[in-house]
Amino acid sequence: MFHWLEQRPFFFAVVLFLTISFAGIIEILPDFAKASQPTVGTKPYTTLELAGRQVYIKDSCNACHSQLIRPFKSETDRYGMYSLSGEYAYDRPFLWGSKRTGPDLQRVGNYRTTDWHENHMMDPESVVPGTVMPAYPHQFTNMADIATAYANANTQKAVFGVPYDQEGMPKLGSWEEAQAAALEEAKAVAADMKNQQVKDAVANGQVPEIVALIAYLNSLK
Amino acid sequence: MNSLVKGGIILIVALMAGTYFMAGDAFKLGDDYINDLTMLGAVAIIVITVFVALKYVNQIKNDVAGGELAEESWDGIGEYKNNIPVGWGVIFIGSIIWMLWYFFVGYPTNQFSQIGQYNDEVNEYNDKFSSKWTNIDANGLAAMGESVFLVQCAPCHGVDAEGINGKAQDLTIRMNKEQVLDVIKNGQQGLGYPMGAMPPMMAQGADAEAIAVYVAGGMKGEAPASFAACSSCHGVDGKGMNGMAPNIAEYDDTLVTKVLENGKKGAIGAMPSFKGRLNETQEKAVAAYLNSIKGE
Repeated sequence: MFHWLEQRPFFFAVVLFLTISFAGIIEILPDFAKASQPTVGTKPYTTLELAGRQVYIKDSCNACHSQLIRPFKSETDRYGMYSLSGEYAYDRPFLWGSKRTGPDLQRVGNYRTTDWHENHMMDPESVVPGTVMPAYPHQFTNMADIATAYANANTQKAVFGVPYDQEGMPKLGSWEEAQAAALEEAKAVAADMKNQQVKDAVANGQVPEIVALIAYLNSLK
Repeated sequence: MNSLVKGGIILIVALMAGTYFMAGDAFKLGDDYINDLTMLGAVAIIVITVFVALKYVNQIKNDVAGGELAEESWDGIGEYKNNIPVGWGVIFIGSIIWMLWYFFVGYPTNQFSQIGQYNDEVNEYNDKFSSKWTNIDANGLAAMGESVFLVQCAPCHGVDAEGINGKAQDLTIRMNKEQVLDVIKNGQQGLGYPMGAMPPMMAQGADAEAIAVYVAGGMKGEAPASFAACSSCHGVDGKGMNGMAPNIAEYDDTLVTKVLENGKKGAIGAMPSFKGRLNETQEKAVAAYLNSIKGE
């Protein structure tokens, strides 16, 4: 057979191509099927949390705060359980960060509360003396973009198969439903806050950035 | 001596002379034996490299193939039926044996695990912690409590534990008047004491006011008559009847442990649960520290 092939360059090229393709297929194809598997209990973000995530990205929190806890005792003592890859299954984009000017935030929802965040974002020095974190008072007056967050969630559902609207998972529903649900969540956050301007805005059906951001931070567990 | 060997010797001498010319002043024989050994090694590498290369150049130039020809012929190009070199054969068989070892023994049993390393690190730390602090005395506890406090508690309660101007509980006192009134009005639940939740509205109006003044004042002097509503659970001295209900006179071990475990929602805001973040000794240490800074 080799004798026959060696005399026919065209068929030799065909067989060579098939051989190399076979090796490529068995090495490359399995990786396409290997999507990120969410850890048990990991849920997609709700519309309000996604809006908060956009605020987090917009105000570049990830430039100073990481969201990745390495498996060292010195890290787990301070930030909680080390990170697992499946916990990021619904993060688009990832916000791992590469530099810790401030502390890691991956599980900040476990050890900080709404009122603490409120004080901290308005005036970081008032709760952490000597901190270099700047204040973000504009988050108390700017409104969060719930519509974009809803579109974001729907895109993730349609394109990446993120399990919204399934049993035990956050519900998206129609735009009106999602808007109402986000407002409901915002009210729960605002109930723990003290800023009257924010409370009034939420009572009027608006969602200030700070409320969305706190909802997102509280969801980081 | 043929021309190849002469050329090799000239190359070696030229390399060493060039090196000496460039960096010779930094080297003195006998100055440092590590340097001497390194130089000796360098010379050996040059000599061996040159002569091994020469051997193969010589082989390419002069060797003539021989042996029995194979039957197959490719456009007039033939092949001898020689055995492969022994070294190749040994490496081939050896790598098959190594592969079997690596598949079935090497990889499964010797592989590095980041999580395994982490677990080892934690176990080692925990063993060291428990052996070092089994018989910790009261001063040691308070000192440990302070360092735990500064890391875990100070971000909210402040480095002086005074609650950063009312943004968190002032831990140098047990409760102020507003907090007592708030808990009388709203009750308290979720701390997990055997007595269970405290119902709201145990006292009202002037009675509540009197209790608040008495409790916030550190329970000194005569208790107001209305304090009976409290003492049925919290005890006449307010110390919670040995852990049945929260101690409202001071921070004891049980109270600190319960609050750390369950978190607490009160007049100021909510404190998250610190379950699993501190070990038993550290929780006691926090209680000891809080008692040591009382009324500062």
